[in-house]
Amino acid sequence: MIGLYILGAVLLFGAFKFLRGVYFIRKAKALEAEIGALNAGTEAVEAEEKAEKAAAVVALGFVPESELDTENPAPVPPERTAVLDAVRSGDWEAAAAYIEGAGQDWQERMERVRPLALAAAEDDAWLLAWRAARPSDPTAALVDADTAIMVAWNVRGGQSGSRTTQEQFRLFRDLLVRAQETAHEAQRLADPADPTPYIVEQPIGQGLGYSHERYRELWAQVVQRDPKVLWSHISGLQYWCRKWRGSHELALAFARESAAVGQPGDLLSLLPLIAYFEQETYEDDLAAETYFKEPEIVAAVDAALLDLAAAGDAHPGAPRMRHMLAYLLFWQDRDEQAVEQFRHVDGYIGALPWSYAGEPKRRYLYARDWAVGVATPGL
Amino acid sequence: MGASLRALRALVLLAGFYLLGVVLLAALAGADYAVITWLGGPIVLKLLIVSVVLAIPIVRGLFMLRTPKGEPPAGVTVTEAQEPLLWQAVRDVAQQVGTRAPDEIVLIDEVNAAVAEDAKLLGLRPGTRRLYLGLPLMTGLDEMQLRAVLAHEMGHYANFDTRLTPLIARGRAQLIRTIAHFHERADKKVAKEQAKQEKKDEKRIAKGKEAKGVDTTGEGATYRAMAKIYTAYGNFYLRATRSASRRQELAADLAAVRVAGRDAAASALRELNVLDSAHDFYMSSYATLGVGAGLLPRPGEIFGGLRRLLDARSADLEDLRRELPTEPTSPYDSHPALAERVARIEALPDDGRGGQAAPAALALLSDADAALAALERVVLTPEALALKRVDWEDLVHESMTLYVGRGAEEIREAFAAEGAGPGLAALLDAVDADPAVRWRIADRFPKSEEAAAATGRAAREFTRPVLRRALNQLVTVELTARGAARWQLSWSDSAALRYGADDFEDQLELALDAAVADRPDTESLRKLVLAP
Repeated sequence: MIGLYILGAVLLFGAFKFLRGVYFIRKAKALEAEIGALNAGTEAVEAEEKAEKAAAVVALGFVPESELDTENPAPVPPERTAVLDAVRSGDWEAAAAYIEGAGQDWQERMERVRPLALAAAEDDAWLLAWRAARPSDPTAALVDADTAIMVAWNVRGGQSGSRTTQEQFRLFRDLLVRAQETAHEAQRLADPADPTPYIVEQPIGQGLGYSHERYRELWAQVVQRDPKVLWSHISGLQYWCRKWRGSHELALAFARESAAVGQPGDLLSLLPLIAYFEQETYEDDLAAETYFKEPEIVAAVDAALLDLAAAGDAHPGAPRMRHMLAYLLFWQDRDEQAVEQFRHVDGYIGALPWSYAGEPKRRYLYARDWAVGVATPGL
Repeated sequence: MGASLRALRALVLLAGFYLLGVVLLAALAGADYAVITWLGGPIVLKLLIVSVVLAIPIVRGLFMLRTPKGEPPAGVTVTEAQEPLLWQAVRDVAQQVGTRAPDEIVLIDEVNAAVAEDAKLLGLRPGTRRLYLGLPLMTGLDEMQLRAVLAHEMGHYANFDTRLTPLIARGRAQLIRTIAHFHERADKKVAKEQAKQEKKDEKRIAKGKEAKGVDTTGEGATYRAMAKIYTAYGNFYLRATRSASRRQELAADLAAVRVAGRDAAASALRELNVLDSAHDFYMSSYATLGVGAGLLPRPGEIFGGLRRLLDARSADLEDLRRELPTEPTSPYDSHPALAERVARIEALPDDGRGGQAAPAALALLSDADAALAALERVVLTPEALALKRVDWEDLVHESMTLYVGRGAEEIREAFAAEGAGPGLAALLDAVDADPAVRWRIADRFPKSEEAAAATGRAAREFTRPVLRRALNQLVTVELTARGAARWQLSWSDSAALRYGADDFEDQLELALDAAVADRPDTESLRKLVLAP
């Protein structure tokens, strides 16, 4: 009988503990729900403020988020649009004429080759027809080589090494080797003064992992033909970056050398800016708001501003320069100057530094709206 | 520790297992008694059922008294009159080790040598001793190495180990089975619950609601808890016997060194490591290569071919000899890791018996080829024995031709479905007429996720190698059918296709490239393959 009392007491005590537990759990859940509601409220208020600010910025004449073009760094010239339409219907002669229209302006030549190569990576019937019709046309070979690089990257995909399959790696390599053959063919066919068949080999060397020695030989081929093609310098800097075959030091040294080669108006002072930006992107422990304010980076931005003033908007590389400047000026708290750059490039953000962000529009709007907010009294 | 003391401990440990079962049953019975006396109502019945359910595996564990008799390995029993040299060697070794020679020698088809004794009275009285000796093992060893292996095995006899082994093994097997039983029940319960929840989810989906997802955490927890009790005892059991079994293994290694010399004993262990994987590889890639085509090598070659493989790949196998596993094969294995055993042996002082070439172990047999053939007749199934026997060269060529031909059937179907077939000539005509037919054909082959997602020229680049492989396969079929190419056996490499002319392979590569290029050229392929 005593045992029964003890058992009863134990059961009662257990029941009490259990019910108390249930009570506390319910209370905690109620509190959690309350916190959730409060957070949601704060978020809603913040989102509303943000939307209001965005609307105010748009009211000042800036492009709204939904209309931002993330493909191009600047408005596409109508002539290029027409040529892209023409090739889609098989008219390769339009492409040939368009690229040759750049003449000896090698930067412009590359600016015209790339969009056609991107188009050919999707549909290359016109390019095959062009190659068949004019087997020894250096321009066709150049576009073909650049197309092969675009296709190689499409095959590889943008995932990290561990998420890229063996099939993708193997094809990537095979395709780059074929691109290399085509680039060498273009080099044989082209005008000896034309550096673009060598410039097109630069990303191939990067993907195939040329040794420093071999890459320097290729670089010598480029600069002996024209030492100041912005495209080739930007491409070369990628090779020397830590994420590819170099280091932060090698990349910065290369960029400074490039800047030293350029005269005001050549826009080669863009190179150090990219080198700093690449380093900041690579190193997680570098904070943009302090790192970009270092005196040497402020000085590099000043030099680039002078360079840009000398170049004017006629230089095909000017939009790329302005995008980079806008971002760095924003981090350097030089918001009025940043806004000036934003005004020039607003609407077209297919360029560094935005394209490296997971959400390019978000990075762009964050910088632009902030700078505009600071620079506009009463906003 | 003497033999009888070890026997006593083995007995005590085994008794402990039964004791554990009895104690657990008593605990359940006690709990039931308490429930019945103090509680009333339907809860009593429920609790009783739970205790009965838990008691079932314990009782089953208790009554699985006899370890199931392992089927003795199939083999050929050889008498002293049949194999005098082998028997002599075995007797020599037994004498040197200081134990009675086995009563029977059975040749088997494994990379293994083992002694077994039908011990009586829980292993306290001797019974018939059998030596199971693997012919694949003998194939890879020289005579001194074989003596080392035999000495190791018989070293266990000398220490009375083999008679105790059944006792220890029984305790071990009992524990493992009881634990497995509890886990099995727990898993079943989880599976049941999962099926139940999945069904619920299906119903929810059918009703247009969102699925709840399946959560089976906590299911079968009581079973797992019981298993844990037994696992704990099992670990205690292993710890208690492991150091002794390790000591026995190392003592047996010392016996091997005494009999065969330090170097032969160490190299025998290294060779064992090589032979295991070489034999597995040989059996799957050579001996049974033709089975799918209904072919086997000539009598005696099924196990005998290993000799050729070992000769041809001796350089490749050198790495396996040098790098030994440092982990025991399983937690229940009584052998210390091979690397440790070899290191202990090689650390012994030089006994001056190394460096002497010994004849191959198979030379101990009066007729090795006959023995290998006799073994086949015993271990192969009647179906396998009925297969056609051919020379190695023909086996490789005929089976590879058949396999490639079968693989090509699907390819032909894909080509034919696009109106480009059935033969290679018809296909090339179709390509000339419309190069794009190639990409439509390739779309019919299975492709990777990435390839399926690709568009434009990237999609074509994913497809090109697939198409090229398919085309190459058709070419192979065409050439082998005409006798212009032949699959060549290689003991040191995988089978390869050999073409008539030396530079044919390079030309074929170029011709295949041209046929799958964006602007196809089928001419060179026609000339190479279809021209008479």
